[in-house]
Amino acid sequence: MGVVSRSVGNAFRNKVRSGAVVVILAVAIGLALAMLVANQAVGAKVDSLKASVGNTLMVNPAGSRGGLGGGNPLTTADATKAAAVAHVTGVNEALTVRLANAAADSASAGSASGNGGADRGSRGGRFGTSGTTSLVSAVDPGVLGQRNNSNGSSPDGGSGSTTTRPAFSIPIQATGVSTSATAAGTAIKLTGGSQLTDFAANSTQALVGSTLATKNSLKVGSTFTVQSRTMKVTGIFDAGDAFDNNGIYLPLAATQTLVDQAGQLSSLNVVVDSIENVSSTQAALTSALGASNVDVTAGSNNLQAAITSLGSVQNISLIAFIASLVTAGLIVLLIMIMVVRERRREIGVLKAIGASNRTIGLQFVIEAMVLVVLGSVVGAAVAAFSSNPIVSALVAGNTTSTNAAVGRFGGRGGLGGGGGFSGGFTRTRGAFAGASQLIGTISTSVGWQTLVLGAVGILAIAAIGALIPALLTAKVRPIEVLRGE
Amino acid sequence: MLNVKDVVKSFNSGDRTIKPVNGVSFSLEQGTFAAILGKSGSGKSTLLSLLGALDKATSGDVFVDEVNISTLPDRKLTAYRRDDIGFVFQSYNLIPNLSAKENVMLPMEFAGVSHAERSKRAGALLNQVELGEEMHGRLANRLSGGMQQRVAIARALANNPKLILADEPTGNLDDETGELIIALLRQLAHEKKTTILVVTHDHALAAQTDRKFRLAHGKLTED
Ligand SMILES: Nc1ncnc2c1ncn2[C@@H]1O[C@H](COP(=O)(O)OP(=O)(O)OP(=O)(O)O)[C@@H](O)[C@H]1O
Ligand SMILES: [Mg+2]
Repeated sequence: MGVVSRSVGNAFRNKVRSGAVVVILAVAIGLALAMLVANQAVGAKVDSLKASVGNTLMVNPAGSRGGLGGGNPLTTADATKAAAVAHVTGVNEALTVRLANAAADSASAGSASGNGGADRGSRGGRFGTSGTTSLVSAVDPGVLGQRNNSNGSSPDGGSGSTTTRPAFSIPIQATGVSTSATAAGTAIKLTGGSQLTDFAANSTQALVGSTLATKNSLKVGSTFTVQSRTMKVTGIFDAGDAFDNNGIYLPLAATQTLVDQAGQLSSLNVVVDSIENVSSTQAALTSALGASNVDVTAGSNNLQAAITSLGSVQNISLIAFIASLVTAGLIVLLIMIMVVRERRREIGVLKAIGASNRTIGLQFVIEAMVLVVLGSVVGAAVAAFSSNPIVSALVAGNTTSTNAAVGRFGGRGGLGGGGGFSGGFTRTRGAFAGASQLIGTISTSVGWQTLVLGAVGILAIAAIGALIPALLTAKVRPIEVLRGE
Repeated sequence: MLNVKDVVKSFNSGDRTIKPVNGVSFSLEQGTFAAILGKSGSGKSTLLSLLGALDKATSGDVFVDEVNISTLPDRKLTAYRRDDIGFVFQSYNLIPNLSAKENVMLPMEFAGVSHAERSKRAGALLNQVELGEEMHGRLANRLSGGMQQRVAIARALANNPKLILADEPTGNLDDETGELIIALLRQLAHEKKTTILVVTHDHALAAQTDRKFRLAHGKLTED
């Protein structure tokens, strides 16, 4: 019979009351833990969303997107202006052009010459291209390739059918870059060879997409032509989708020279210092470059909405976590104060027969801990069953307002062939989805950080809840023993 | 051994002050078996509480083996109550949810005695006050008044105190058991040189003591 067993015994002296206290504590602690789990899960989701959005803005010529639309190209002067805007930490310039297959181009041009120019659309996808290349597309034209590369007039007397057209190679997308990054600012992932190093106008370096390289039997060191220049494959990249893997990267200056578009750019990818400044920088860029000249788009409008709503869920859950813990602490505090008052005389007895303040204080702290531990065990079970519904309810309740928001991030315009469709589809799906779809499922796994935080929180409330009453016992005088005698 | 000088204890009850102990002086040699007699409400329990350091005197000094307990700091008082005093309360004051034996073991636990030693000694003390073995494990609140009184006496003896203060130790005992307790206390005083001060109405007990005092109107006089 030591102080511990005495305390445990005392915790169950009034079984009905202790049972009730444990149940109430379990609810409060369970709620606290569920809120903590929600907070952590939502926090992790916010981080992953932020990572997936990135903090970038796309600048396109006003009225133009990818290969579609009109307007005038951007210039290197625009890039300089963009770099000077506040919160902009980096600008990736890119010139994206379409290169027709040189052999197909000349062949179809010859066969079509007799048609008096009425059937330009059948000219091997020449429509909208800026130059030629020896490369043959790895993507079959398919229905989309036919449609995207016609000039809209029917070659077959207005039937609109594309099935009778001669086979042709769809154009290759060449992206002129000034760094080892894609037009969207992400790193180019090589599967072989090395990144571009020579960014001069007379550079002959090129990176080739993996499927395009296979189709054209290219290896690192192989050559092909762009316009009249012989380019050398310095690296083969894998962008992870069929459309991008059918393209090439060239040094920006070389691209501008080759297609005779000196100083012109098709897009700027602007890196903003933090995700919170993306929308203000979007406005600043628009006014700096002129709303009539550029369209500045954030790929993250929905994502920002999602992050904002999740952020409020995070705050709510944090406040609820703290509030539940404080409630649990108050329950412990009040019940122990009650117990101390009730046992004043007994405390007097213990002191009268030689117990120190420390021994008695310890006895009451342990007694409170027994209640807290039991409440925590039951509370953990409560949390295990309620975390998921609670997270779902919190997230649903805070994102319904953003469900209606739809993406306005254009796809890749009119580029690509049949095989490119699926790649484009998955990209645009993310953009057109509402915030709630972006949030998707939030998994509530309990990591060690959550466990540690929860344990620390519960210990803190138990300590506060138990210490104050324990200190009160020090004030009880041994003469209380004679009370009522 | 015990030297009480001009001790006063006053209580404020409402607008008037009562002084159940009003200038008490006396001293006891080590190994004395003494009794305090007096009417109900005369202040006997109050005086014992001052000697046992359960309460502070309003004025005056209490010397125990030349140490003035009126001026001791809290930590020393705790040790004094634990090691030097055995207090038998008028209403026993056992811890109700502990067994008879656990109650007797408590003061030894506070003194840091090992569990095995505590258990052994508590059993022996309970046997000494003739509480049957089958009662040792019984919860204190399931014992009869007389049994509780004997457990309270055993608890007071637990740490071999040099001064035993017993408030009506035979109040609830039949004559035969009362005689047993009186004999036990006498033996402690005369053979183990424990100083014993009992408060009693029991003439059989008073007759067995070495010295008898009477408390009336706050003053103590020796018969
Ligand atoms: N804490 C207190 N506050 C006010 N008055 C008190 C207090 N304690 C005791 N008294 C009063 O002091 C007087 C003496 O009480 P005490 O308990 O010492 O008497 P007693 O001699 O032990 O009586 P009994 O023989 O009935 O046990 C009583 O009048 C009592 O009301
Ligand atoms: Mg009394």
